[in-house]
Amino acid sequence: MRSTLQYEADFWIMSVTAVITQGVGIVFLWAIFRSIPRINGWDFWEIVLVYSLVVLAEGVSQLFAQGVWNLARVVNTGELDPYLIRPYSPVLQVLGSEVGMNGLGNVGLGIALLVGAVIHVQVAWSPARLALLAILVVSGGLVKIGLNLLANSSAFWLKTTWAMVPFSLHTFGELTRFPLTIYSTAIRLVLAVVLPYAFMSFFPATAVLGRGAPQWVGLLTPLAAGYCLLLATWVFRRGLVRYESAGH
Amino acid sequence: MTLPLDAGRTVNVPFRAYRRLALAALRSLTAYPMSFAFSMLASAFSALAMLYLWRAVLSNGRASSGFDWPHMKAYLLVTFVANSLVSAYTDYQMCLRIRQGDIAMDLIRPLDYQRARFAEACGFGLYEAGAGIGAVAVATLIFGGLPAPSLRSFGLFLLSAVFVLPLRFGIVYTSGLVTFWTQNYVGVQAARIALVTFLSGSLVPLAFFPGWLRVIAGAAPFAGMASTPALIFGGQLQGAAALRAVGVQAVWTVALWLLARAFWLRASRQLTVNGG
Amino acid sequence: MRATAPKTHGPDLASLLSYGDIFDRRHCYIAGMALIDVSDLTKIFRRPQKRPGLLGSFRHLIERRFTDHVAVDHLNLSVERGEAVAYVGPNGAGKSTTVKMLTGILVPTSGDIRVAGLTPHRDRVTNARNIGVVFGQRTQLWWDLPVRDSLELLRDMHGIPEARFRRTVERLDAVLKLTEILPSTARRLSLGQRMRADLAAALIHEPAIVYLDEPTIGLDIAVKDQVRAFVKQLIAEGTTVMLTTHDLGDIEDICHRIVILDEGRLLYDGDLQAVKDNYARERTMHFQVATPITDPAALAVRLPGATITRGDSDREIAVTFDRLAIAAGDVLSAVFEHAEVVEVEIDEAAIEHVVRKVYAGELKLAAQRAKEAA
Repeated sequence: MRSTLQYEADFWIMSVTAVITQGVGIVFLWAIFRSIPRINGWDFWEIVLVYSLVVLAEGVSQLFAQGVWNLARVVNTGELDPYLIRPYSPVLQVLGSEVGMNGLGNVGLGIALLVGAVIHVQVAWSPARLALLAILVVSGGLVKIGLNLLANSSAFWLKTTWAMVPFSLHTFGELTRFPLTIYSTAIRLVLAVVLPYAFMSFFPATAVLGRGAPQWVGLLTPLAAGYCLLLATWVFRRGLVRYESAGH
Repeated sequence: MTLPLDAGRTVNVPFRAYRRLALAALRSLTAYPMSFAFSMLASAFSALAMLYLWRAVLSNGRASSGFDWPHMKAYLLVTFVANSLVSAYTDYQMCLRIRQGDIAMDLIRPLDYQRARFAEACGFGLYEAGAGIGAVAVATLIFGGLPAPSLRSFGLFLLSAVFVLPLRFGIVYTSGLVTFWTQNYVGVQAARIALVTFLSGSLVPLAFFPGWLRVIAGAAPFAGMASTPALIFGGQLQGAAALRAVGVQAVWTVALWLLARAFWLRASRQLTVNGG
Repeated sequence: MRATAPKTHGPDLASLLSYGDIFDRRHCYIAGMALIDVSDLTKIFRRPQKRPGLLGSFRHLIERRFTDHVAVDHLNLSVERGEAVAYVGPNGAGKSTTVKMLTGILVPTSGDIRVAGLTPHRDRVTNARNIGVVFGQRTQLWWDLPVRDSLELLRDMHGIPEARFRRTVERLDAVLKLTEILPSTARRLSLGQRMRADLAAALIHEPAIVYLDEPTIGLDIAVKDQVRAFVKQLIAEGTTVMLTTHDLGDIEDICHRIVILDEGRLLYDGDLQAVKDNYARERTMHFQVATPITDPAALAVRLPGATITRGDSDREIAVTFDRLAIAAGDVLSAVFEHAEVVEVEIDEAAIEHVVRKVYAGELKLAAQRAKEAA
C-alpha cells in the first residue's frame, strides 16, 4: 500500500479517472432512459442494480487483488522469483502485491448506485432479502477476483509482458453490466457457464429481483465464486509448475 | 564533412521522409499483430454490448430521438471505426518513449516532433482503419446490413471522415504530452478515453443528451471525432447543416494542432532524461 | 605546450577557408568564432521530496516539497572547429546532461549555448542537421526496421541526394564493415554491430559536429578498438568531436583536449598531453630476470627516487619512477647491470591515473585555462 501512495499525483489521477469512467457509464444509462422506459422488460433502476454490482465487483477486485494484472510482466521478466522464495502462498502474494486505490472510487460509486437501486426498485425488501443481497455482492466480488486470476494466469503460457489477453477477457466480462437477456444465446452461454462473469452481477440481481432467470440460479453465486477461485488457483499452480520447470 | 548551417536557413523536410516514417510505424504494428488485435478486441466488446443493447431497445421497429434500429446500427459501427483510429496505442507508445528516455533519440532527428508523431499516427491509422472496417464487416454478418447513404451523403461522409484522424490526433497527442509531468499515464489515458468516447457521441448519440449537455458537447471538439461523420453517413445530418458540421471539424482540427504546439513548448521544458 | 592545429587529409572546405591560425588555441581565442560556445550554463532538476514511511507518504499528498539537484553548475566551455574534446567526469557529474543540452534535448535552466550560431533547443531541427549523436546506451535506429531502411529514412529526413548518400555509405562501410549488418533488423543485432550501425546513422549526413556519449560502453575489446580507430579517423578528417566517456582508454591517443567535470562544475579544461606531462609522471617497468637479483640495495642506490618492488616471484621486479626525473633508458641500463633480463614490460603513463586522483580530490589541476590567455 505504501508504494501505491508514493505516487501522490497518481492517486488523484486514478481516483478521478475511476469516477469519470464509471460516471460516464451511468450518464450513458441515464441518457438512454430519458427516452426509453424499459429495455427487454427491465426498467432503469433494475439495470442500475445490475450495473452497480459490476462496479462493486470491480472495485473489490482492485482493492484486494490488483496485483494479478502484473502477472504478465512479473512472469516474463523473472520478477516472480522473489515471491517463490518467501514462505508464503505465491497466489496471495501476487494478489496483494498491489492495491488499486481507484478501487475505493469504484466501491464508493458502486455502493451509492446499489443503494439508489435498492431504494427505487419495485421489490419488497425484507431483512432476509437484504442479507441475501449482501452475501451475493460479496460472492460476486469473489467471482471477479477468481476470474481475474484465472485470466491473468495465462501469463505463464504467453510470452508477452502486456496483460492483453486477460484485459480482453475483462472487457468481455463487462458485457454483464446489462441484463444477459439482450444477448444472443451463444454469448449468454459463455457468460454463464464458460467464463461465468454473469455471476458477478446478473444472476445475483435475478435472485433478488425475482425476474430474468430462475431464482435458484442466483443462489448458486457463492458456489460459482468458490468454483472460480478454485479453478483459478489450480491453473495458477499448474502455471507455476511450468514456470519452475522451465529453469531460470 | 559539410559546413554547419546557420540560423538563417530553414530547410524543409521532404514529404518523402514523413511518408517513410508513416510506413515504418505501420510496419512496427504488423510486427505485433496479436497485441494490436487484442487491444482492438477490448473496444470491440464494448461496441458489441452497445449493439445488443440497442437492438433490444429498438428491435420492434421502434425509434428513439430519431434513431431506428438500422440507423442506430450504422451509427454505432461508424463511431466504432472512428474510435479505433489513433487509439490508445499511439499515445501509449509516446508515453513509453518519454518515460524510458528514448525520446532523446526522437529529438536528435531533424524532424518536428509533432509532425513526426502525426506521420506515425497516419501509419498506425491505416492499420487501425483496416482492422476496424474488417470488424464492421463481421458485425454486419451478425446483425444485418446497414442503410446505404445517398451519393451526396457519402461524399460528405468521406470529407468528414478525413478530419477524424487529425482531430483525434490533436487530443491524443496533447494528452500524451501529459507524460512529461506525471509518471502514471495509464490513469490519464483511461480518463481521456472515457471523456472522449462519451462526448464524441460514441457511447450514446448526442441527440440523447439533455439540453445542457448537448450544448457542452457542441462547443467541444469531440463531436467531430465520431458523431459528425456517423450522422452524415446515416443521413441524419444533411445539406447545409452537414457542411456546417464539417466546417466545425476543420476549425477544430487547426485549433487543436496549434494548441498542441503551444503545449509542446511547455512540455519540452519538463523533460528529464536519466543517465549521466 | 604543443601547438595543435586540426589535422586534415587532402583539401577540405575548412582548410580552404584558411581559418588556420585561429584554431591554434594557444595563440588567440576570438570570441564568437568558436563553433560551440557555452556560457554560464546551468541545469537544475527539481525532484519531489518523498518522505519515508506511510505517514510520510500521506503528508506528501497534502504538502509537496521539492529538492533541487544542480546537474550543471555555471559551466563555461568553448570548442573550436576541428577540436577533439574529451569530456570526462565521475557518474552524475553532469556530462550527459551537458551533451543533452548541447543537442537540444534538454532545456537549460539558465545560461547560453550557441552551436554554429544556433541555440540548440530553440532551433532544434536546424541544429540537428549539423550534428551527429551517438548515445552508447540507446540506439537511434528504428527497432523493427532493417539497418538499411533506417539509414534511408535518415537520408530522406536530411534530404541527402542519392548519389552522395551512396558514396557516404560506401565510405562508412569501408571502416565499419556495414555490408554484413545492413539487411538485419536493429533488434537482432549484437551490441557491437548495433554500435557500428549507430555510428553510421549518426554520420550519414556528414555532420560538422559529432557528440559521442559512452560510445564504447559494453563493447568487447575488438570492437572497442574498431570504434576508437574510427573516431580517430573522424577527427583526422576535421570533424569536431566531443567525446564523453568513462573508459579513459577511449580518449588516449584520440583527443587533444580534456575537460574534467564533477558535480556539474568544471574542474579542468586543457591540453591532454600537458596533463600527462605534468601530472602523469609515474611510470612502471616490469622486469623478468633469469636469476634473482643479488644486490637490490645497490640497484636502489643506482636509481634514486625510484621504488623497486618484487613481483609474484623472486624473478620478477617492478621499478616505479618519475619519468621526468629518471629516463627509461637509465632504468634499463641499471637493471641490466644487476641482473640478466629476460623480459621487459613498460606501463605507459595513463590519463586514467591522473583522472582518478582528480576525482578523489587528491589532485587539483591548474584551474581551467583562462579565455584571455595569450
